[in-house]
Amino acid sequence: MIRFEKVTKRYAGPGKPALDQVTLDIDKGEFVYLVGTSGSGKSTALRLVLRELRPTTGRVHVAGKEINRMAGWKVPRLRRQIGTVFQDFRLLPNKTVAENVAFAQQVIGKSQREINKVVPETLELVGLKDKGDRMPDELSGGEQQRVAIARAFVNRPMILIADEPTGNLDPQTSVGIMNLLGDINETGTTVVMATHDNGIVDQFTKRVIELEHGKVIRDEASGSYGFQH
Amino acid sequence: MQLRYVFTELRTGLRRNLSMHLAVILTLFVSLSLAGVGILIQRQADLAADQLGDELKILVNLCIDDDPSNNPNCAGGEVTAEQQKRIQEEIDGNDEAESSRFVSKEEGFENARDSGQIPESAVSGPNPVITVDSWPAGYWVTLKNPEEADGIISALEGLDGVSVIKDEREALSQIFGIMKVLKYGSWIGSGFLLLAAMLQVTNTIRLAALARRREIGIMRLVGASTLYIALPFLLEALVTAIVGVGLASGALAAFQYWGIEKGLSEHVQFLRPWVDWSDYGASLYGWFPPGILLLGLALTLIPTLLLTRKYVKV
Repeated sequence: MIRFEKVTKRYAGPGKPALDQVTLDIDKGEFVYLVGTSGSGKSTALRLVLRELRPTTGRVHVAGKEINRMAGWKVPRLRRQIGTVFQDFRLLPNKTVAENVAFAQQVIGKSQREINKVVPETLELVGLKDKGDRMPDELSGGEQQRVAIARAFVNRPMILIADEPTGNLDPQTSVGIMNLLGDINETGTTVVMATHDNGIVDQFTKRVIELEHGKVIRDEASGSYGFQH
Repeated sequence: MQLRYVFTELRTGLRRNLSMHLAVILTLFVSLSLAGVGILIQRQADLAADQLGDELKILVNLCIDDDPSNNPNCAGGEVTAEQQKRIQEEIDGNDEAESSRFVSKEEGFENARDSGQIPESAVSGPNPVITVDSWPAGYWVTLKNPEEADGIISALEGLDGVSVIKDEREALSQIFGIMKVLKYGSWIGSGFLLLAAMLQVTNTIRLAALARRREIGIMRLVGASTLYIALPFLLEALVTAIVGVGLASGALAAFQYWGIEKGLSEHVQFLRPWVDWSDYGASLYGWFPPGILLLGLALTLIPTLLLTRKYVKV
């Protein structure tokens, strides 16, 4: 589903590359943690998958397509197959919960009939069935993250990318979010989650890819966060 | 594509940046009105040049029967074909003449009627004072240099068949000078204001993109196309342009009606015919010089297209 072949990403200016000859393979339906310290290259890797960046050298394949040389006009179509969740939720404060979720469908031209059907289903899936009319600032942090997940999942993407989704949440709420991500993963969606949350990684054991200074230093099928070399 | 969403965004965008949009509209209105006035003055100058000649031209009137000039050159009555041939040769061979055009009695008579030189009372009725036959044929001679006409005038004024040489270069030069000042003044003024309008459009787009950066970010991530993201910006610019052009069209129509038709054309006879509604139409829809519709759209849509490419790039 996602394949990096000797990918190096170098930003402008001197210094080491953000990613250095990274090769990795993530299969359809996998749940993968991407761990590492700040500056280790996690966000760069995620942005390469989203085709927000292009690698300096090497190849990135997503959903069976090499996306390095993908024409700009094809990128929106690629992104419709990827859902994205952020640490800071990034909800639109002037829209209700349902409108926030519907927004992801409206802007890609889905019909109102489909929106009316899929949005309530998705809100039910994330446990916010009765909160569609609320404004984001009326919700707790965990609920806001659920809205963000609903928005990322409403188009039923093949891949869900979560960048520190529990970073702003207390441990108990984080567990709820992880359960939700697990449920989504069980529908066959590939989940790639960048995180610093060692408690979560240790509690919900999944494949762990650890980056350090832009290199993959560990790739374990059922790893923990605190692996020491 | 959900047009309902696009129009909702358009309405929100217009409301959110209302003061900026009003500033753009007012600047467009004033600058396009000035540009339109400049175009009308240009067309008036062209009309006047067609009618009166320009400062490069002199008019050589040929003799008629009982020529009122009492010029000895007209002692033989109406100019003969031989005399006319001699006059034509003199003009063609003269170094100061660039070219010449023969104006028949009929054409000269009609021009004089159109421009109000002959009062209608003089040509109407059973025994009109002035007829086509009593109007002289002539030559419009275009000079190579408006300062140099003495040679050709002295060569022609001694020829049989030449009645009067009308040399209105000085008077015309003043009229066209005033028109030039007005035309270039309005174009320069409108040029600065149009530049200001373009910069205001740029600022408006920048502010709108800033205000909507979170929405744009989400749209890009969920796979909205560039066109879809840019459409509300383009429509905002289009609405601004349409309102600005509409106001300027109204101002120009008012200028055409009260300023020209009910004002200048009734009081300033020697510049007739004045610009009419077809000239007003050309100031709106013309391609060259570009009419205010084209100018307004170009000034708002081009910067919007360029900037949205930068801000909403996927």
